Amino acid sequence: MKAVGARLPRYDGVAHVTGRTTYVDDVRIRGILWTKALRSPHHHAAITRLDASKAEALPGVHAVVTHEDVPKNVYGHLEALGIPADEPLLAENDVRYKGQPIAVVAAGDEDTAREAVELIEIEYEERPAFFDIRKALDPDWPQIHQWGPVYPHFGPHNHRRVRKGNVDRAFDEADVIVEGVYRPQAIEHCPLEPQTALAVPEADGRLTIYSCTQAMYFSMGVVAAHLEWPLNKLKFVGGTVGGGFGGKVDTATETICALLALKSKQPVKWRWTREEEFLASSTRAPWHMEIADALTNDGWILGRRMLTLHDSGAYARFSPYGVTKHAFHHTGAYTIPNVHFDGYVVFTNRVPTTAMRGFGVTSVSFAVETQMNRIAEVLDLDPLQIRLKNANRIGDTTANRITLKDPSTVPVVLAAADRIGYDLPAEYRSMTSDRRSGELLPEHLVAQLGVEETSGNGGGR
Amino acid sequence: MKLTVNGVEHDVQAPQLASLLHVLREELDLTSPKAGCQQGGCGTCTVLVDGEPRRSCLLPLAAVEGAAITTVEGLGAADELSPMQAAFDEHYAAQCGFCTSGFLLAGTALLNGSPGATREEVLEALSGHVCRCTGYVKIVRAVEAALHGEVHPERVEASFEPEETEVLIPGSPA
Repeated sequence: MKAVGARLPRYDGVAHVTGRTTYVDDVRIRGILWTKALRSPHHHAAITRLDASKAEALPGVHAVVTHEDVPKNVYGHLEALGIPADEPLLAENDVRYKGQPIAVVAAGDEDTAREAVELIEIEYEERPAFFDIRKALDPDWPQIHQWGPVYPHFGPHNHRRVRKGNVDRAFDEADVIVEGVYRPQAIEHCPLEPQTALAVPEADGRLTIYSCTQAMYFSMGVVAAHLEWPLNKLKFVGGTVGGGFGGKVDTATETICALLALKSKQPVKWRWTREEEFLASSTRAPWHMEIADALTNDGWILGRRMLTLHDSGAYARFSPYGVTKHAFHHTGAYTIPNVHFDGYVVFTNRVPTTAMRGFGVTSVSFAVETQMNRIAEVLDLDPLQIRLKNANRIGDTTANRITLKDPSTVPVVLAAADRIGYDLPAEYRSMTSDRRSGELLPEHLVAQLGVEETSGNGGGR
Repeated sequence: MKLTVNGVEHDVQAPQLASLLHVLREELDLTSPKAGCQQGGCGTCTVLVDGEPRRSCLLPLAAVEGAAITTVEGLGAADELSPMQAAFDEHYAAQCGFCTSGFLLAGTALLNGSPGATREEVLEALSGHVCRCTGYVKIVRAVEAALHGEVHPERVEASFEPEETEVLIPGSPA
């Protein structure tokens, strides 16, 4: 252990304080072209006409790219898992969120590129836009996404399910039922470095792409898929990210730069404006979570029913993955033997949502911990004691049937109590993560100890 | 037009209304000022104009004729960091580094103009600079360390003797 506890200099510290760190925008290539995009002014509309010929004819414009120029325009982030593609790189017949890119222009300077975008002739037929995920399953919810109101590819289901134990019996036997609804909203990652890429055509026919991505090989795969190229024709340069927080996992600029560079045969940069960041870059998702807990008067959680609606925005991207992670954490750091969880990925006319710092889990942690406090309030019990009592212990099984070998709930709660000078009775203060016994092995938890199963969450990918 | 940057006089070709940021980055290849928002809102493009911190994205070239411009490239080099640079490095005040140039120059102007600045004056001097990795506490600490002369110009070297650390989690193997 040479690093833990030691004071180490940042490997990039001196570069940062001397202004020498090379972010994508700082890469110096002579004669680059600059990119501007035509983006949808509507939340939801059909595109009835698109003609970019005047933009192409503007002096100083070197390339205009629309959906027609993209070898494989429609792509899905989960295609490798067998999920069909759903999102066009550039909008084709319709636009489903405000700010969705439709056409892009590469010109000698930004002003000319902007002027060219103005010259693109486009007509829309506006459609009603929908945002309230609570109404997604109403019969009159309009068709936004070709798959319907919700993502339908959780194995045989149209939602992520977790089932364990006998939740009906838990609710029958409960002394008290406590319900809560939790609705954390969207957050823009807002890194100080906007989305930026630079694609350089090389003499050997390959492309070098300077990228601010947080996920190099993933982004490389996305570009290769759209171009229908083998990976070995792409060289990605990256790893220096001016803040990402999950917002630079989706591939925002690289593919467009690649297409414009190939068409113009010149190096092309696309650096988003701050307005574009707020308008069109993906955000943390809004969530709607409903929890009902079956409780005993002395604070045991016998069962939980939970419904989650996740706002995916206009396309699926990674949302099914986020909801799956969310589902696996829906009992938090606590052991609840009887659960019934349904999580839906709902399509709306907002910008597609994506990862942000604990993808899918931050929302459920907020809901679960607020629910724990609510339970304590209703039962008039101590909130930390309730947490310690129901805390994950060695040998407990989680909702998705993982047997815990090294849970940390008890020591973490005790450390937190210690730090804030919180008074706990001796029997709580002396708790450990050891297997349950005595009073901590109440009847409702007896059956689950020793159970070792690894599957059964009732869904596909 | 003549533009003096980091003590060097340049002939610049850009039109009078081009932003100073654009001229520095695209004509002079000085890339420490960043195009974070280009609306004067984030502070990443800050440079010193005659010693005063200014948003270079909002300054037309014509407005800085005859002025002396300083960017981070004009502070200290890697082996001779200025006190503010050394303090930022030593106190881990840069995470992704994209906002760092602006903070460094705001701090440098404060150090030069009001070396006895109070905590409130430090916060005022840094206000309007956005750090999204949320390093504000470390940035304030670094600026104050530089103001108080508590900076060690030699770089912190890796120490492989673990310091005595407090055990945070009872029963943890640490």
